[in-house]
Amino acid sequence: MALRSRVLAAMAAALPLALAAGCSGSTAPSPAQAAQASPGGSIPASPANGPQSLSETGSTLLFPVLRTWAAAYRQQHANVSITTAATGSGKGIAEASAGAVDIGASDAYLSSGDLVTNPDMVNIPLAVSAQQVNYNVPGLRPATHLRLNGKVLAEMYQGSITSWSDPRIAVLNPGVALPHTPVVPLHRADSAGDTFLFTSYLSTQDTSWDRVTGYGTTVAWPPVPGARAETGNTGMVAGCKATPGCVAYVGIAYLSSATAAGLGYAALRNNLGNYEAPTPRSIGTSVASFVSTTPVNETISMVDGPTLTGYPIVNYEYAIVSTLQRSAAKARDIKAFLHWVITAGNAPQYLDQFRFQPLPASIVSLSDAQIAKIG
Amino acid sequence: MTTTSAPPPAPSPAPGPAAAPAGARRRRSVPASLRLLLIVLVVAAVAYGAVGTWTVIQHASAAQDVVSTSEPLSLAAQRMYQALSDADVTATTAFLAGPYVRLPARERYAADIGRAAADLTSLENATTTSANPQLVHSLAAVAAGLPVYTGYVSQAQTQFLLGYRLTAGSLMQVASEEMHLTLLPAARASYAQENAALTAASAQATGLPWIVVVLVLAIAVAFVLYRAQRWLSRRTHRVFNLGMLAATVALAVSAVWLIASFAVARTDLQRAVGHGSIPAEALAQAAIDTQQARGYEVLNLISRSGDATFVKDFQAVQARLGPGPGTLLGAASSSSGAGARWAAAAGRDVRAWYAVIGRAYTLDSKAQYTSETALVIGPGAGASTAGFARVEADLSRAIDADHAVFHSNATAGRNAFTGLDVVIILAAALIAAGCAWGLSRRLAEYR
Repeated sequence: MALRSRVLAAMAAALPLALAAGCSGSTAPSPAQAAQASPGGSIPASPANGPQSLSETGSTLLFPVLRTWAAAYRQQHANVSITTAATGSGKGIAEASAGAVDIGASDAYLSSGDLVTNPDMVNIPLAVSAQQVNYNVPGLRPATHLRLNGKVLAEMYQGSITSWSDPRIAVLNPGVALPHTPVVPLHRADSAGDTFLFTSYLSTQDTSWDRVTGYGTTVAWPPVPGARAETGNTGMVAGCKATPGCVAYVGIAYLSSATAAGLGYAALRNNLGNYEAPTPRSIGTSVASFVSTTPVNETISMVDGPTLTGYPIVNYEYAIVSTLQRSAAKARDIKAFLHWVITAGNAPQYLDQFRFQPLPASIVSLSDAQIAKIG
Repeated sequence: MTTTSAPPPAPSPAPGPAAAPAGARRRRSVPASLRLLLIVLVVAAVAYGAVGTWTVIQHASAAQDVVSTSEPLSLAAQRMYQALSDADVTATTAFLAGPYVRLPARERYAADIGRAAADLTSLENATTTSANPQLVHSLAAVAAGLPVYTGYVSQAQTQFLLGYRLTAGSLMQVASEEMHLTLLPAARASYAQENAALTAASAQATGLPWIVVVLVLAIAVAFVLYRAQRWLSRRTHRVFNLGMLAATVALAVSAVWLIASFAVARTDLQRAVGHGSIPAEALAQAAIDTQQARGYEVLNLISRSGDATFVKDFQAVQARLGPGPGTLLGAASSSSGAGARWAAAAGRDVRAWYAVIGRAYTLDSKAQYTSETALVIGPGAGASTAGFARVEADLSRAIDADHAVFHSNATAGRNAFTGLDVVIILAAALIAAGCAWGLSRRLAEYR
């Protein structure tokens, strides 16, 4: 009878696809179920005794907050030293997968390629982030947030919009005096989660971009005269500052430094047609719409989600960790640190300065369930 | 009734007083010896019948198991893997092809899931918890993972229909990960277990030890019969004892029948294994590897958030699959199986498919996702879809041909045991009855 029930359940779950119905017939576990179904490995409140060390590398966006977390954690646990490095999400994933570091940091979840070839790896959300689109357009007032959408941005990166005074930009920004400054698209030279997020946004809003270029941590950028490639978020901010007419995608943690560099940031068109700037409220609204659909392994794209007032480029910042550690002490240290990050470390005192948002409560449960797998 | 070719037994001369005790002993010892002989021969006949019948039943049962249980279950496990793999490729391809999931894709996905569920049901119904813990565990993993997988696909489909392609894409990745990390390994393990059961059943059906035991027993009974008849002949001056002669004939007929039946069955079953299941096993492994390569190739299309690709996995599959010496396709095409020519065709077609896959991975490394997608799931004759279909069709024909050979020979082998158990039982009964009758007549002469 149990088998019959399971088979019937499988068939019932398959039916929605067969009918292509718009309703959800999901039998995938809910976040709460997943938390209950976690292997039940305990999460220690403190690291192992004696001198302990953890190494982290990866996302340049996550780097500043990780450095802050590491310092704060050391204040509480003086025996633990944590080294951090900003090397890009791609390198964070690769080095964590290879066992070269204890924790990889990534703006993008692990790909199927990563997970299937490294089935012991997990991606654990640490905080909510977003991506801003910066520009260096001379003459604009600092409080002005140009309205841009995926199609216009795609045309900038494809080279079909070459001037900031192009009517396709002007029509989105009535009343704004746009200069005849040439558009200079900046993109990341390294394999980057930020590139994944930005090109994902372009792909959702512009079918020709999706058809021709697509999305990924690395893409074949259309050849545009004057376009520049920069390394890391710091490089993107510096490069944009030095290049009048630039347009660049930068992680939200760099909003202050970008603003300080005189760069503006755009209000982006969301899936329902509204233009939203990356504020805590618009970011939180967008993430909330994905909480119920986040799967147990927390792999989910939240770009261009179904919210009226949500900001369209939001994401979880992930720790990439192996569930098979070389020693019990190492596993204990990693579990204790990651658990601290998603609980105490998600306090405003750590996140606000980088404009990150805390994880929703049910996502903390999912993350704890994944942390518990580390052993 | 006894046939006499010698003078009837003369009553013993009247013993003298001195000879009286010895004569009495002899008169007492002959009936006692006859009774002992009777008991020994009846017990030997029963032992021959019991061991012979048990052995025949064991072999016939194993042969029956090969034909009606192990082979169908092995096929079901292979089909389950194929259906699961195809379901994931179909769902992912439909998602990538967008913007709408076409009816044939929906129907194919639903049919794949239905077939996998049906095969899973057959496999679970045939498996008891005590039979094979590993198999039970593998099937339980498939049973538990299948609703999870279809649930994620449904979620992805819902997001897709609502217009959230990227979210749908990430949920489709989660579904595919469930497929590649849980379902397919469990299905592959199930196939390996079922195939091992088929091999074990074939070995049991063709095994020699108990048949040798029965033949040794038959020789022992024949020896006792011979010695008993010779002793009787000397003691009673009769050349033949008809009862024991009938017992000897029954023993000889049953032993020859046993040897002939077993030889035929063993030859047929060995031919079924050598020309059917062994080449089919290599082909099934090749089909699984082919589906794995196709699955990875399609999964790679939506795997954009990291740097890892399936190039190494593809190269590993290529090295295992062949063609060439020491590879699965090499072994299958050089075998004596009926599917060898189709295996050779698969070997030719797979080279062209490899070239397409290689080009796709090159495009992937250059982030030429659009061209890669067109090459991998596009409709053209030069696309990977067509190349995979050709290889899959070749392998399916080859497997079907080898399974047909296996089935016909295994069925013939099983049929060779038909009626043999009855022959052994009848022979044992005849031996016992013949001995009892023949010796009772002699015993009666001493009353």
